[in-house]
Amino acid sequence: MIFMKTLNVLITGVGGQGTILAGRILAKCALEAGFDVKANELHGMAQRGGSVTCHVRFGEKVFSPIIPAGEADFMLAMEELEALRYVSQMKKGAFIIMNKRTIMPAGLENKADAYPREIQKQIAALGFIVKTLDAQKIALECGSIKTENIVLLGVLSKQLPIKKEIWEAVIKAAVPRKTIEINLSAFERGQAL
Amino acid sequence: MLPRLFNFQQLHFLLLFLNDISYILRKIWDNRSKKGKLMIQKKELMTGNEAIARGAIEAGLSYATSYPGTPATEILEYLAKHFKGRAEWSVNEKVAYETALGASYTGRRSLVSMKHVGLNVAADPLMTSAYLGNKGGFVVVVADDPGAYSSQNEQDTRIFARFAKIALFEPSDSQEAKDFIIAAFDLSEKYKMPVMLRSLTKLSHTSSPVAEGEIREENKLALQKDPAQLIAIPSNVVRLHKALIEKQKGLTEDGAIYNSIFKDKQKKGIIACGIAYNYAMEYAEDFAVLKVSFYPVDEALLKDFVAGLEEVIVLEEGEPVIEELVRKYHKNVKGKLTGEINRTGEVGADALGLYLKKQTPSCGVRDLPRRPPVLCPGCGHRDLYTALKAAAPSFTAGDIGCYTLGCNPPLEALDSCLCMGASISKAAGIAGQGVKRVACVIGDSTFMHMGLPALISAVYNRANITVLILDNSSTAMTGHQPTPLIGITAKGQEVPKVILEELCKASGASTVTVIDPVKIEETTALIKEKLAQENGVNVIIARRPCVLTLKKK
Repeated sequence: MIFMKTLNVLITGVGGQGTILAGRILAKCALEAGFDVKANELHGMAQRGGSVTCHVRFGEKVFSPIIPAGEADFMLAMEELEALRYVSQMKKGAFIIMNKRTIMPAGLENKADAYPREIQKQIAALGFIVKTLDAQKIALECGSIKTENIVLLGVLSKQLPIKKEIWEAVIKAAVPRKTIEINLSAFERGQAL
Repeated sequence: MLPRLFNFQQLHFLLLFLNDISYILRKIWDNRSKKGKLMIQKKELMTGNEAIARGAIEAGLSYATSYPGTPATEILEYLAKHFKGRAEWSVNEKVAYETALGASYTGRRSLVSMKHVGLNVAADPLMTSAYLGNKGGFVVVVADDPGAYSSQNEQDTRIFARFAKIALFEPSDSQEAKDFIIAAFDLSEKYKMPVMLRSLTKLSHTSSPVAEGEIREENKLALQKDPAQLIAIPSNVVRLHKALIEKQKGLTEDGAIYNSIFKDKQKKGIIACGIAYNYAMEYAEDFAVLKVSFYPVDEALLKDFVAGLEEVIVLEEGEPVIEELVRKYHKNVKGKLTGEINRTGEVGADALGLYLKKQTPSCGVRDLPRRPPVLCPGCGHRDLYTALKAAAPSFTAGDIGCYTLGCNPPLEALDSCLCMGASISKAAGIAGQGVKRVACVIGDSTFMHMGLPALISAVYNRANITVLILDNSSTAMTGHQPTPLIGITAKGQEVPKVILEELCKASGASTVTVIDPVKIEETTALIKEKLAQENGVNVIIARRPCVLTLKKK
C-alpha cells in the first residue's frame, strides 16, 4: 500500500483536442503505479466544440469523482481560454501547464476583442505557477498534430510519482499502432522541456 | 479524555483493507484447484456504465435492450461489443423495456438500460410489470442527470421506483455498480419483481478500479404460461397489487445490508445516498455517516442513526427523498428543504464543503466568453436551418437531438423543444387553432422513437403542418448508434432497412418530398411552397448523412 495524499489533476480543453484521451492515459498510469484512481470525463457535447474537462484523482483512497473546488494540484490546459476558465478550481500556488493555443469560441469568430488578452499574465497574477509551451509546434515536428496532448502529458509526467516505463507502456496501448513511435517521441519531447 | 483508538476514517480504511484481503483470499481459494498455483486478480479501470454492463454479463445475462441516451448509452454499447448473447437497440425505451421483460418470461435474465427521461416513455410497462413481475431476473438500469448536463430535466428515478413499489440500488462507484447489478438480478429472481439500479452522470462517466469476477451460467430456457400472474385484467390486478405490497417487508429486510451506519460518538451526522457517499467522505472526520445504497430504506435504520445526534445533513442527488423521511425522526435536519443544500442542479463535490466552511473557492476570473456546443462545420442541419429561416414559418416546433442546437445563435431557428417526438404533436396543436405556416423539425432516430404515432395522429386529425425530418442517417448526438432506417443492428449485423419516405406515405401524409439541404435555395423554395399550402401534413425529408460518420468512412 502506498500512503499518499490524493493528487488532483484537472485537464481542460476544447472538444476534439484529445482532452479525454489524455485523462484516460493519466488515469491508467496512476492505476498501474498502484494508486486508487477516479477519473471523470464530461461527455456528450464534447465533439461539438464545447468546453471539455477531465478530472483525474489518485492516491491511497480516492472518494469524490470530482476535484473539490480549490483543490486541484495541477492543470493541463490544451487551450488558453480553457485554462483561465478553470483557475478557480486550483489550489493556491498550483502548477498550470498551458498550451500556447487559442481557439475562438463559436459565434465569436469575427469578434477578436472578445477573447481575453495576456492570459498567462492574468493567471500568474493570481498566484499560480504557469508553464507555457507551443505543444502544437512540437507535435507537428514529431509527425502529427494529434500528439499535442501527449506532449503536454510529457511535461506533466515530470511532476508526478509515476515511472517513465509505465507512461510508455500505457501510451503504447492507448494510441493506434501506426502512431506509437510518433507518440513516444512526443512524450519524450514533453519530458525534455 | 482518552484518545480514541481509531478515528472514523482510519476505521473505514481498515474495513476497506480487510475487504480487499478477504477478496484476495477468496480469489486464491477459487483459483487454487483450477490453475494449480496462486493467482491474484488485477483490477481494471471501468466507467460506471462499463461496470454495469460487466456486472450484467457476470450475473448470467441472456438479453439486453436499450435506446441511446446520455449518460446511459455506453451500457448497451459495451454489451454489444463484449457480450456474446443478444444486445440490441430498440426504437424507444417502452419497446426496450417490454422486449427485455418478455425475455425474462422465458426464465432467462434480461436487462434494459436508459436515461432518466426514457423511463417516462417506459412508465406504462413499468407500473404494471411491478404487479405482474418476471420469471428470470429482470433489471432496469436508469441513469439520472442532475445538473441536466445533456437532458431536458433533472427528474429523480428513486421516486419512480417508490411509485412502482420496486427495489432500487444506488451505487457510489464502479465496483459497487458491478456488484449491485449482480445482487439486483438475484433479488429480482427471488421476489419475481423488476429491480432498478440508478446511475448518475457522475457515476456513469467516472472510471474507477473494478475487480472482474467469474461469469455465471445463463438460466435454462423455461417458458411457462401463468395467466393468473401475467395477464393484467381487473380480476387479477387487485390481488397482484396486494401481493406486491406484501413483498415490501421482505425486500426492505433483504436490502438492509446495503445501507450501513458508520457511527462512533460523533455529534453530527451525514446521510449520504449513492454517489454522495464520496462527497461525505471528503469531509467526514467529525461526522457519523449513514451510507444509503438501497431503497426502500428501513425507517428504523434512519431513526437509529439520528438518535443522539445534534445535527443531521442529508446529501442526495435529485429530490429530497430521504430528507423527507428523516425529518419525521429528527428536528435539526439540514438539506434541500431548508436550503443548506441547493434544491436544484447537481449537489456535487462542493455543496458539503461550502456548507461546513471547509472549502473556500479560490480566486477565479468572471465573465469569460462561453463556449457553447455548436453544430459541426459541414453539418447538413446548418444548411437546413438557413433555408428554414429564409422560408420564415410562423412557429417552428423542435425536438431532441443534435439539431436542437439550432436554437442557439446565430441560427436561432427553433421556438420550442420538449421531449422525444413532441415536435409534430405540438405543431398540430398550434395549427389546430388556425395558425398558418406552422413547421416542425425532427431527426430520423427521434422520428422512429416517437414521431411516427404523432405523424399519424396529425394526418388523421387534418392538421395543416409542414414536417421536416432531418435525416442524417444516424443517432448522432449520442455517438452514432444505428437505427432501423440504416438497416444495421447494435451488433453490426445487416438487416432490411425501413424506408422513411414509404413510411410517411403509408401514414397518409399529403406529400412526401426528399431533398438534400445543401441545396439551400431549392430547399428554401420547397419549404416556402409547403408552408403556403393548407392541405394537411406535408413531409419534407432533408437527407444528408452526418458529417462525422462521413469522415469515419
